[in-house]
Amino acid sequence: MTKWAAGLLFCALVVMALALRVVSPQIAGQQKTPAAPALGSGPEATANAPAATSYALTGMSYAQRYAILCATCHGANGRNETPLTPVLAGPVLAGQPSLYVITQLFLFREGRRSNEAMTTVAKTLTDDDLQGFSDFIATLPPVPPPPPAIPPDPIRMARGQALAEQHKCLFCHGAGLGGGQQVPLIGGQHEDYLEESLRGFHSGSRPGYTPAMTAAMSQVPPEDLDPLVYYVARFRGPAEPVTGM
Amino acid sequence: MKHVRPLVVLATLCCIGLPALAQQGEPGWAKGRPKTDVALQMAPIPAFPIPTAPDKLPTSKFKLPPGFKVETWASRVLDARGLREGAKGNVFVSSLFVANKVYVIPEQGNHQPKVIIDKMPMATGIEFHNGSLFLATNTKIMRYDNVEDRLDNLGEPQVLYDKLPGGNDHSWKYLRIRDNKLYYAIGAPCNICDPGPYAKIYRMNLDGTNIETIASGVRNTVGFDFDPKTGDLWFTDNGRDWLSEELPNDELNHVTKPGQQHFGYPFCHQGSIPDPEFGWGKSCDDYVKPAALLGQHSASLGLTFYRGKMFPAKYQGAMFIARHGPWNRTKKYADISVAWPDGKGGARIETFMSGFVENNNYLGRPVDFLVLKDGSMLVSDDHAGAIYRISYGQ
Repeated sequence: MTKWAAGLLFCALVVMALALRVVSPQIAGQQKTPAAPALGSGPEATANAPAATSYALTGMSYAQRYAILCATCHGANGRNETPLTPVLAGPVLAGQPSLYVITQLFLFREGRRSNEAMTTVAKTLTDDDLQGFSDFIATLPPVPPPPPAIPPDPIRMARGQALAEQHKCLFCHGAGLGGGQQVPLIGGQHEDYLEESLRGFHSGSRPGYTPAMTAAMSQVPPEDLDPLVYYVARFRGPAEPVTGM
Repeated sequence: MKHVRPLVVLATLCCIGLPALAQQGEPGWAKGRPKTDVALQMAPIPAFPIPTAPDKLPTSKFKLPPGFKVETWASRVLDARGLREGAKGNVFVSSLFVANKVYVIPEQGNHQPKVIIDKMPMATGIEFHNGSLFLATNTKIMRYDNVEDRLDNLGEPQVLYDKLPGGNDHSWKYLRIRDNKLYYAIGAPCNICDPGPYAKIYRMNLDGTNIETIASGVRNTVGFDFDPKTGDLWFTDNGRDWLSEELPNDELNHVTKPGQQHFGYPFCHQGSIPDPEFGWGKSCDDYVKPAALLGQHSASLGLTFYRGKMFPAKYQGAMFIARHGPWNRTKKYADISVAWPDGKGGARIETFMSGFVENNNYLGRPVDFLVLKDGSMLVSDDHAGAIYRISYGQ
């Protein structure tokens, strides 16, 4: 059921991506490849008659385009907690810095960071689109995660916090794990996404925009990954100062 | 010239792997970073993933000495780094972290970049010699033969050497060929550490054999060239980070005894400051002093002797130096400087082209130079993804 729903939504997403590609002169005018023939109009038709098909989407702001193209997976406010489609609960975008977002859209568009849905969308985007979407996403304020069904295990949280300090996660991601510039917000990020990301950086399969994260993770023992993920996903704010040593 | 033993130690180190030298859980560039909020916000600034649109380039904002003019020669060249010229009217352009490409741009026509090598991480060190394009990544040195006749498909390169240590910090390359020797450097694998066999300039035969040390104690040189008058090697060296906002300076160095000189790293910086950690028990007097200081954390990259005839006599035989600009300093600056050997081992320096920074933000960052046959000079800008042409007169 989950996979079926995911497939259906993915198809819908691709159709929307292709539709945007055809009807928006801003995109179509800068596309190097011809527009999708399945929609019945060649590139010339698109270029010559944008008015005929652009009634809905031309002149749309990136906020509107985000709502159509991104919100299904990532949530209208940048945080998707839809429990019925966990496979499609895309990573939290609320609170991510513009520079981080644009570097990741770039990696998806170049086919370096692999995710079928994201690459499909990103390949339709021009340079201006990358900037527009990134700037819009950076306006989404951070959204705290919902209260957990099960309270975090204090022992595991303490272990994760100690590891985060030992492995210097706070060096780049900040004391509040909120990121900045090319560094993402990670505090309260979806647990499955954190797991996939850390394992990817650890194995070298997930490319970063710079080698910083790969270099940092190359020194982290594999058994530390799960405790880090557990802690970061449940992180609610900067740690209380440790006293009474 | 003194011949020094081959890179046995380095090869051994490759087997152990770079992490042996890296700090636990900390990128090499972060070693030595103070634990203050301001410093913790600073990290190397990668080239922006989108080239600046041609009409938004800072070209009209650049300031040059009277009589010089600058124009946009090529735009939308993502991550443009190294520049070298072929024999048949082609300019080769390399890249660093972002593009993973080498481009060719014909000198005739509208200067559209064409990708000739793709999906090649750190495709940064390039040189052209006898019809071949030499390319060095952080792991290997390759040669593409007869390249200008095969621009649509370069074919598989000949691998000359595949034992470079790889890694991230200061592992990208800058190449020059002189007298059938290929010069390259292996930068320190960290901000500040005991570099072992790293932090040296080397040279090898063009077939990858007979590796010799040319200079030691070189933290990270991303630009060097030979004085056309004397044949001496001059190089820029990027000083350590995090000592303070204002110290140390990057260095301009002059090799007078190849293979026998140590330029100070990690013990002494800018010829006068013992390292707070590695300088104990050492004296700056024991190392070669820089010919000139190039500015605090200035990230001095490309260095090219001007061999053309178009520029006024004053600039003929001078060195152009690309000051890419600091990432670990609050106040940003970047420019093209020009330096003259003073004949006594030193050099004097002045600013040549400015205008790369506005409101403490980079509009562009210069990387490398290429003097064209007509005497005009190209400058690459990896931040804006552009190449500018500087000319004089007319």
